[in-house]
Amino acid sequence: MNVVFPAQAAVPRDIGLWEWFSRGNTWTGEGGILSSAVDTITLCAAVMAVSVVIAVPLAALLAHHRRGEISATWTLNIGRAIPTFAIAGLLVPISLTNGYGFEPWPISIALLMLALPPIFLTTYTAVRHTDPGAIDAARAMGFTERDVLVRVELALAVGLILSGIRVAAVAVVATEPIRAFLGGDGLGRYVRDGLGQNNDTLKIGGAILVAGLAALTGLALGAVERYGLPAGARHLRQVQDTRTGETR
Amino acid sequence: MISLLPLQTSEPLIRWNYIGDQWDDIQRKLIDHIELTLISVALGLILSTTLAAIALRYHWTSGPITTISAVIYTIPSVALFGILVPYTGLSKTPAVIALTGYTFLVLVTAIISGFRSVPRAVREAADGMGLSARRRVMSVELPLALPYIMTGIRVATVTTVGLVTVASIIGQGGLGDLILDGLRRTYWTPMIVGAVLSVALALVLDLGLWLLGRAITPWARRARVR
Repeated sequence: MNVVFPAQAAVPRDIGLWEWFSRGNTWTGEGGILSSAVDTITLCAAVMAVSVVIAVPLAALLAHHRRGEISATWTLNIGRAIPTFAIAGLLVPISLTNGYGFEPWPISIALLMLALPPIFLTTYTAVRHTDPGAIDAARAMGFTERDVLVRVELALAVGLILSGIRVAAVAVVATEPIRAFLGGDGLGRYVRDGLGQNNDTLKIGGAILVAGLAALTGLALGAVERYGLPAGARHLRQVQDTRTGETR
Repeated sequence: MISLLPLQTSEPLIRWNYIGDQWDDIQRKLIDHIELTLISVALGLILSTTLAAIALRYHWTSGPITTISAVIYTIPSVALFGILVPYTGLSKTPAVIALTGYTFLVLVTAIISGFRSVPRAVREAADGMGLSARRRVMSVELPLALPYIMTGIRVATVTTVGLVTVASIIGQGGLGDLILDGLRRTYWTPMIVGAVLSVALALVLDLGLWLLGRAITPWARRARVR
């Protein structure tokens, strides 16, 4: 049995980049840039939401109880070694054999594995290295353990956690386009079609879209980090930055 | 045009006889994969050493050099291949350019922090003993920076192994070609073989480089015990 992939509307080969971008039907309709972008953003947002819900509480609890020190090192080593394309490629047949189709499970699980490590790691490190003075002070004031975790450790860690989320989100958005090569669509479809039809305009135009969305994600979440935090946390973030010597 | 993606297929996940029958092809793809990884990391190492040397020598350049490497690193690989292919054609060139570019961030930062970790006292002692600048760098600073650099090379290599798989979208991907080929033909065995081998290759190279790092910096272990 052979899989018949959806037919692609052929784009004239001699069309210029500007002309392609300014045509109305490039943007709207099925397979248009807008619906592809929504497709990509929805998937990435879902993956990010799930990873935050899993990684932040887990890392915070482990760090609060000083457990799983090894898990942090382990995450660091595994996290950067995950070949997302290979993982997704491995999951597609498994998903199809079990009747779950091409999408969304294989790509979502592969992206989840990409997003979890940086979020887990920053949360763990930030909570684990909370100023012990602040924790002692909170305990002395009669905070329950739960309050210490939520209102002291997590509150102080929020700046670093957000930067972990930003790194993960940029990686997810930048990697999601491989989905177009694994039986899906999304914003990566134009590069795929460009390669398939040997159409340079589509290749370059699609690349601009994919890179642009990744850059926008980084900028938007960077802005949240910089301006969205409460004044106290923002100030603390600057102190943490100077202390770790990190340049942003 | 009928355009239906199936939810389920009856093709088994693995047909063992494929591995034996196609062994030569698998082997060639594996060697291609290793070759592309090594070329890119080696080129990346040469260029990153140059960049890091500039950054260490002229301090004001270290900000821009790290920033530019970081920007390159965040460019989606699919986008980078899409942009490069029209200019280079479907060859190894765009793959090597992109993969080399991705190693900069990790390698440059590793080399810079390695050399910055050398205590000033050590450098002054070397100068005091009358070592030439060249010998001071080669026989005092480099060995001390080596653990950092080796970690950088490990990370860069493992990341590159993963990205080479993506390079299959422009037909240069070594094991990734097996994945795409299997997908096109609804033949799962090559997909599984390609994916499993590229994960295994990443792990093997990581372990190998870790052992190599331990072997060439025995003093780093002793220092940690203290």
